[in-house]
Amino acid sequence: MTIGDWNEAANELNAIVASFDEGEVSVDDLFVKLERATEIIESLEARLDATKAKVEELTPRIARVAEEQ
Amino acid sequence: MPLDDASSDETIFEVGQFYELLTAQLESAFGRRHPRWVRGEIAKVYEKVHLYVDLVDAGSASSDTKRPVLNAHCWGSQWNPLKKKLAVDGVTLKPGTIVNFYGYVDVYAPQGRIGFTVTSIDVEGLLGDVARRRQELIARLQAEGLLEANKRCALSPVPLRVGLVASPGTEGFSDFTGQLLNSGYGFEITLVKTSVQGEAAPAQIVSAIEALDERYLDIICLVRGGGSKGDLACFDDERVARAIATASTPVFTGIGHTGDESIADMVAHTRSITPTKLGEEIASIVAQWDQRNIRVPAQKVLNATQAILDEASEYVGERRRTMIFAVRDRLRSEARHLGAVRRRLVLQGSHLLDSASQMLLSNRQLLSAYDPKKRLAQGWSIVTGAHGNVVRALSDVRIGESVRVMVSDGSFESTVNGKGGPPT
Repeated sequence: MTIGDWNEAANELNAIVASFDEGEVSVDDLFVKLERATEIIESLEARLDATKAKVEELTPRIARVAEEQ
Repeated sequence: MPLDDASSDETIFEVGQFYELLTAQLESAFGRRHPRWVRGEIAKVYEKVHLYVDLVDAGSASSDTKRPVLNAHCWGSQWNPLKKKLAVDGVTLKPGTIVNFYGYVDVYAPQGRIGFTVTSIDVEGLLGDVARRRQELIARLQAEGLLEANKRCALSPVPLRVGLVASPGTEGFSDFTGQLLNSGYGFEITLVKTSVQGEAAPAQIVSAIEALDERYLDIICLVRGGGSKGDLACFDDERVARAIATASTPVFTGIGHTGDESIADMVAHTRSITPTKLGEEIASIVAQWDQRNIRVPAQKVLNATQAILDEASEYVGERRRTMIFAVRDRLRSEARHLGAVRRRLVLQGSHLLDSASQMLLSNRQLLSAYDPKKRLAQGWSIVTGAHGNVVRALSDVRIGESVRVMVSDGSFESTVNGKGGPPT
């Protein structure tokens, strides 16, 4: 099952967490939901890490522009 | 020889004698000991060590060939201190200037000229005249709307293309260009060299402004370091004022002086009190634009990026922790539920077993009353027939049949010999 863009993934993850909060998860579903939530979290973290790496690369260049006088 | 005496006879003079007589007569009335004030308009002026002026009646037409002319001169020894005094206040003697000369008549026989030796000049009067003409010029410019004309020219937000009217090598030039070149911004300076003082300066400045105005530059800067009023008089020149006012490019002035602002300053788009300040101001305009349009947005992008990343990291981390706790809670809840069920079942089973045991015990106690061994010990016996059947009634045996009789400690064989009645 594919994982959508950041907002879609976050919405799906929020829905899973909400179902836990509301006690709707049966023991049979628990593993399935946990597995799905783990996939989403890992996907979000991977995207975040990739974005951070790109930002790390660009930050000194932007900072140089911002700080030069 | 008295004049009256000379005219009363028929004496014939040699030329020299005549000039001697004339000089003597003039000196007695207008000579060194009888100096006079003479007021007039300068028609011509020439200076070379000494000052030479042709003075005419104020307002007289130059085309009038019969207008009287006074050939005045001021010897260097007296002219130089006067000149310095006038220069400090920005007064130059030029054609059209109304002036009051104090001096005496002299006669120069070799050229047959009667002249006027100036020993003093009414400086206060000249200053008043200069000030009056200055105010008149300001009033004219104001009436024509020229004081504000250049100020209406749109100023580029990033004035990097700078036209410069200045004299290279002067301190003002270096101060101004130094500010731009050291600002770190890529100013493009287009210089038109001019004199910035003296008679030739106004025409050169006008020409330079007009030339630069056609170059579509961002601004034109008119720069001159400090000096006396006389040095800076060209910046009060009407031609310069009109050139600035009618330029389509914003004209900035950086004219170093401590007195009144010049008319060039008044008509300029923007004025600074020195060339250095002007350079600083232009660099500051560019720096402000740079700050507003590049530095600040860059910093905002940087901050926003970091905020988004921080928020996203916080979100993912929080979701991860929430999931871990949610699953752990869910499993613990299930475990607790199962434990409770198990404990309930164990408790209920124990009760069941206890009940069963109790029931069995009471049954056992009940049954023990019927235990055959107890009956046998009490003296009862159990008789079984030839086929092992328990003999409970007379009909269960036949006469002569062998039976086994079980007692408390064993059994024995017996034969039925007869049958009797019921026990009593």
